[in-house]
Amino acid sequence: MAVKPKLTYFNCRGSGEPIRYLLAYGNTEYEDVRFEDEEFPKLKPNFPYGQVPVLEINGKMIPQTLAICRYLAKRNGLYGSDDFEAMQIDAVADAIVDLRNAFTFCYWITPEDQRPAHEEKLKKQTLPFYLSRFEKSLQENNGYFVNGKLSYADIFFAGQVQHFSDNTKYDITDGYPQLKALVEKVENIPQIKAWIEKRPKTDF
Amino acid sequence: MAPKYKVTYFDIMALAEPIRYLLSYGGIEFEDVRVKGDDWPKLKNGTPFGKMPVLEVDGKKAHQSIAIARYLGKQVGLAGADDWQNLKIDATVDTVVDLRIAVVNAVFADEATKAQKKETLEKDTLPFYLGRLDNQIKENGGYLVDKKLTWADLHLAATVDSVNGALKTNIAANYSNVGSLTEKVWNLPKIKEWRAKRPSASM
Repeated sequence: MAVKPKLTYFNCRGSGEPIRYLLAYGNTEYEDVRFEDEEFPKLKPNFPYGQVPVLEINGKMIPQTLAICRYLAKRNGLYGSDDFEAMQIDAVADAIVDLRNAFTFCYWITPEDQRPAHEEKLKKQTLPFYLSRFEKSLQENNGYFVNGKLSYADIFFAGQVQHFSDNTKYDITDGYPQLKALVEKVENIPQIKAWIEKRPKTDF
Repeated sequence: MAPKYKVTYFDIMALAEPIRYLLSYGGIEFEDVRVKGDDWPKLKNGTPFGKMPVLEVDGKKAHQSIAIARYLGKQVGLAGADDWQNLKIDATVDTVVDLRIAVVNAVFADEATKAQKKETLEKDTLPFYLGRLDNQIKENGGYLVDKKLTWADLHLAATVDSVNGALKTNIAANYSNVGSLTEKVWNLPKIKEWRAKRPSASM
């Protein structure tokens, strides 16, 4: 009998939440393993590249958020109808990760005393750069990122956005009605709504 | 008629080199457009997302280097045989990208933190990644995934090419499996031909 897949990540939403959204979307039963920050150093050596999230299927561990998302997307019809469309969807997800990397650099890597300058740049340049382009894609694609239909890029954004807002301490979709509508649309997908209602409540 | 391909990027290896490797490997002719720094601002609005590299296929534009690489990997027969294998390829490529980002963050750090970042890179980050990648290659018969050539191997070799330029060193020097795989890719006839004829670039 097949063992349930196991997702291992910190006890927060962060980079794990898009994966949890996709697992919920596919009605996939899984073990949602969480650990606290302090436990990470001793768990690190267990992971293929010392990082999380990691998805374990039948004893095999795979790291890397996007790789996992893409695998789940394929299994749930969220990856476009051909290679070119798949590339366009991947491109959006990669751009969201570029934005997330800017957040990680500003809020989680830069020492607190050097943060103000980076935060200013993030809020005044980086965020508007990305959000205005995401907004435009949605406007041109009937409310979804690619070709007018739901793909893993839409779910990825919705799963990631709260983490951004937690860091900036304001809703980053304010002023971007299409993005707001997309997040609401994804969060109201019944399986995802059910997950949001029952998930552990965490600060990030 | 075969599609027309165009790659647009700065005059460096960096993010576009995996794309150029894959097109070369597939024997696909492409227009290799290199943009000077000063000319870039006025070209931004013509791109899908205000960034490069951009791949144009018969006039349709795509962005994001790894999304493009994955697409080209499929076109040239270097994708995985099933979803799970593709997952492993993706995970490996993303890991190499993490390594590349760490290098870029150190090389382009502001003066105040550069020395310390470079030290962390050399003492911790590079050994961490290269050690594991070296092991992965050893366990996979000399390739990154499942004992066969995939686009992950070309991506790694192109990344090593660029990072060596940026750090002015050979990062694979102490990692024999990484070194052998990189050499293997560089010696593939079409890649060898590309590396011999491409414009020279610092990184």
